Amino acid sequence: MYDEFLEDIAQANGLREVNTYVKLVAGLGAIILCLLSTSFFAPLFIAVLLSGAIIILARVDIKTYAELFIVPFWFAVMSVLVIVLLSGGSPVYWSWDPFPWLSLSISRESLNEGIFVFCRVLGGMSALIFIALTTPMTDLFIVMRRCRVPEAVVDLAMMIYRAIFMVMHLLVQTYQAQVMRLGYSSFRESIESFATLCGSVFIASWDAGEDLVRAMDARCYAGKFAVLGESGPVNVYSLAVTGSFLLVSFVIVVMTKNIVAI
Amino acid sequence: MSSIILEARQIRYRYPRGMEAIRGISFHIRKGEKIALVGPNGAGKSTLMLMFNGMIRPDSGIILIDNEPVSYTRESLRSLRKRVGFVLQNPDRQIIAPTVYQDVAFGPVNLEYDEHEVKEAVTGALRYVGLEGFERRPPHLLSGGEKKRVAIAGVLAMDPDILVFDEPTSGLDPSGSEDIMELLDELHHQGKTIIISTHDIELAYPWADRAILLLEGRILQEAIPDVAFACPEYVRQAHLSMPILLDLYFELEKRGYSLPEKKPRTLLDMLQVIDVAFKKTPCPHGNPGTISVFDVDSSPHDSLPGWLASHQGVPVGAMGTRAKQHAADNNIPLDFTYGVIDKCILRAIIGESSLILTSTGMVRRVEIRVIEFDNMSGIRVPVRFMC
Repeated sequence: MYDEFLEDIAQANGLREVNTYVKLVAGLGAIILCLLSTSFFAPLFIAVLLSGAIIILARVDIKTYAELFIVPFWFAVMSVLVIVLLSGGSPVYWSWDPFPWLSLSISRESLNEGIFVFCRVLGGMSALIFIALTTPMTDLFIVMRRCRVPEAVVDLAMMIYRAIFMVMHLLVQTYQAQVMRLGYSSFRESIESFATLCGSVFIASWDAGEDLVRAMDARCYAGKFAVLGESGPVNVYSLAVTGSFLLVSFVIVVMTKNIVAI
Repeated sequence: MSSIILEARQIRYRYPRGMEAIRGISFHIRKGEKIALVGPNGAGKSTLMLMFNGMIRPDSGIILIDNEPVSYTRESLRSLRKRVGFVLQNPDRQIIAPTVYQDVAFGPVNLEYDEHEVKEAVTGALRYVGLEGFERRPPHLLSGGEKKRVAIAGVLAMDPDILVFDEPTSGLDPSGSEDIMELLDELHHQGKTIIISTHDIELAYPWADRAILLLEGRILQEAIPDVAFACPEYVRQAHLSMPILLDLYFELEKRGYSLPEKKPRTLLDMLQVIDVAFKKTPCPHGNPGTISVFDVDSSPHDSLPGWLASHQGVPVGAMGTRAKQHAADNNIPLDFTYGVIDKCILRAIIGESSLILTSTGMVRRVEIRVIEFDNMSGIRVPVRFMC
């Protein structure tokens, strides 16, 4: 309950001032290249490079990054195990038929398939985390507006963004108050405490919502929401780095299209 | 005397299904006044203040702004709220937008300023509260004092004539509270009328031009602070405590010392009272020290480092946000940030020199205050303007 928000890391990251579009092109471009690639090598290359960028350029704490990565990593391991065991192929290295309707085998083809999928997951994940850790939501609102997302949606998103932190704050406060008075000490108690927590936070956030309307009224709300100016100008250096990253990755995608792991 | 800007005539208000919160209040506030509304919790301070910008409509009685009764149509409420800026007690409840810039721009955008004007208003307001460079920060990552400043900037950006603050110093650390009070002083100096509600007697006592004591929806007393807070009976009824300086004054009086008529409002006043009471000479160390004044807007900036180098150990005070910003930018450590002139006069009395950094608009204030002191005490404190 006391974890740092991803958003807070993004607000303070080393690439905060780099133009939002440049960062988005780098991240989304990397995802597309991972999908285009037909070998395990290019996604692996992208994963390593972007992880390096997150840790060195964006100066994200390596432990934080590892913690973030670990959940999807295990998820990928599980899925890849299933793929390797079930996808069949030849030559077979090992096989076992526990039931007449289920046969498990490990073959060269299935191993290659597994490694390929696994690397793709790593590449995609690191690209997604790269965007999440370097581009705060507040900058994405500008992009949303630019991309002609309906104004009502963007305004609503911005208010929801603000509300999330308010509700989170209420939640932490109430939770702490409960723990201090020995809430959650037994299973039954936990259920009751949780129910009270939900109830009181609901009422408190309703209150906060009404206050919000009043605050908007007090400042002459007439259906308009200010836009934050553009982020920093496109810097030649960042553009060159992003461009060469995508170009090199693309060349690797093309050149390694037939390479297999084993 | 300046014109009346806000007036209440026999207003009453009852919350739906609740008790009567305001039970017939009448008062008026003049342009450029500093008013402190004080009273215990539940006295009706917040309710009363919410009427000033039309958030609550009184059941009976009228509120007049510039001698015009407030009308509650949509259009006139908008212009009312542009004229009367309201800063809530809890800035979290006032900050709406996901970034500081957007929040401060909220009012101007809805007042249909064009893009350039919005930008100008926001930059000006942020500079005023000392939050330049915070534009892109999300509010939840700011400290309590910073949030309060954002809330104030959001109101300042609409350039209101009357500023209403509900508990401006609640939840802030002492130095944060002093900064806010200093900011209010600066705004007042720009010609704004300021109304605050507070429990903090020690801050309100030297600051306010007039104090209005509220109790159970009625006005208990309305007077200048040295009168309003001087009656022990009223102070007790209003669940307040007497300001420490007044308390000390009365204790000295009870012990039979002959004291000057004027009650002390600042530390400097108190020292004069003590000097009179104990028949001491006000300036024990011969000549008073010099107060140098540096105008960060017009004095040549390169003269300051040299001066500081040749006057090492001289205490430096900054008055106003721009002066403080200047000090921060140039790594000048500040000894005083609140009540600067008085603190420098205090130094001068014991023969020490000091330096005040300030902006053009406030240079005159130094002069006025020092002359006022000179006339009261008979000491000539030399003031030197650096240019």
